[in-house]
Amino acid sequence: MVALWLIASAADACESSSGITPAARVESSGIVVVFRTVPPVIELGRHFAVEALVCAHGAMPILTRVDAEMPEHRHGMNYRPALHDIGGGRYLAEGLLFHMPGRWQLLFDVERDGRRTRLTGDIVLE
Amino acid sequence: MRALAAIIVLALATTPCGATEILGLDDTEVARVIQHGPWPPAPARDPSNAVSGHPAAIALGHRLFFEVRLSATGTVACATCHVPARGFTDGRSRAVGLAPGDRNTPTLLDVALHRWFSWDGRADSLWSQSLKPIVDPREMGASGAHVAKLVRDDAALACLHVKAFGAPPALEPERALVHAGKALAAFLETVRSGRTAFDDFRDALARGDVGAAARYPAAARRGAKLFVGAGRCRVCHVGPAFTNGEFHDVGVPYSLGGGRVDAGRSEGIKRVRADPFNLLGPWSDDRTGSAAVKTRHVEGTPASFGQFKTPSLRNLGHTAPYMHDGRYASLRDVVRHYSDLDMERIHTHGEQLLRPLKLSTGESEDLVAFLESLTDRGVARVPSPPVVEGCRP
Repeated sequence: MVALWLIASAADACESSSGITPAARVESSGIVVVFRTVPPVIELGRHFAVEALVCAHGAMPILTRVDAEMPEHRHGMNYRPALHDIGGGRYLAEGLLFHMPGRWQLLFDVERDGRRTRLTGDIVLE
Repeated sequence: MRALAAIIVLALATTPCGATEILGLDDTEVARVIQHGPWPPAPARDPSNAVSGHPAAIALGHRLFFEVRLSATGTVACATCHVPARGFTDGRSRAVGLAPGDRNTPTLLDVALHRWFSWDGRADSLWSQSLKPIVDPREMGASGAHVAKLVRDDAALACLHVKAFGAPPALEPERALVHAGKALAAFLETVRSGRTAFDDFRDALARGDVGAAARYPAAARRGAKLFVGAGRCRVCHVGPAFTNGEFHDVGVPYSLGGGRVDAGRSEGIKRVRADPFNLLGPWSDDRTGSAAVKTRHVEGTPASFGQFKTPSLRNLGHTAPYMHDGRYASLRDVVRHYSDLDMERIHTHGEQLLRPLKLSTGESEDLVAFLESLTDRGVARVPSPPVVEGCRP
């Protein structure tokens, strides 16, 4: 019950303070990542960026990597995004490009207290 | 670990009603066919090339393209391998300039739409690609100094240079080479293919005109269904140009014989990063840096070995033989390659999407009919160079 409250609370805090709209949200182990892509609609073969805000109760987690892969194809992107920490739990990942239609999985690797947590969100590109 | 998935579904293009039963395509297939257009796309200027779209640069590039004196021996021009009447290819399996090459000559039709250039993507702009054959010992074997002298000593070329670049031909070899590349690129941006039978079909579907769509041959329609459906060809050959502009290992051998291998994309990434003429360097005219995003972020992986660029499927009727090494003489051979795909050949990092299509004879013929419908029958035209006032035509 307490754990559920903590997750909900972290999520609420994240969304209310993110300023990131329209946003998608992924969460795991009490860590919430609110994010949006820039531009908002991802076009096949066009570079895009991801703005993300990481929230949690207790020690602030650090976003260490944003990447993407196609699980069914067992490969990722052909580009390595650059991740910028812009303070206050906010990050900007630049240089992403989806080169095939299908299901992509956006990956957020977050570290807290020496433990890595991976949060994932699906993006289906027709 | 538990993660909640955020689902962002990009909507399919609007599907016209009534098409499906008559044409044998379901709504998803119709929407996917529509994604292969419209054609032609609007021309766009290259921000990394200040003379992109400039009439004098186009005229200079046109002249240089057909100029055998650009080569060290005075015997080879760009047009020697990129023959306009052959869809800007040469009909050979592998190119022959001053010496035999290892790869098939790619078409230059619609080349301005590419993200990366050459089969391995060794160049990140059309102008930096255009200068490479000039100095490649196996292609034209010349040098920047040779180009500088040619343009400076030829009154017509020098005149066009002044009009294009606002200055007399450069004395510095490197600058002369870059200017030649940028002028050639300005010309090549005008080498575009026109509409095809497929485009008429696609547009008819987009406006819901079933009667017009039904005029597209039934075999090609069945081929289109396979292409966007069970064949999954459109996963890589996507969009109006029928390419995702990236690199894949589709099971074509990369051995060159004699113990040599063609490493494809993995070598291309190394080369583009080390290229003094890449978009991150001082010769790019893009001051915003946006054109260089791909170069800044491109990443080689173990899977890059043996990958080659996904070619456009437009104008295949003019560009045989096929594949990066020109191993297949006909489209039937190419379709057979995918039908009987050798899974043993595709290494562990290869494209996991690929499976032998195991096509029947009829299905193979349908796919060929579809691919043939992607050819503009008028592409043998060479774009006329603009007339530049004050310079001899």
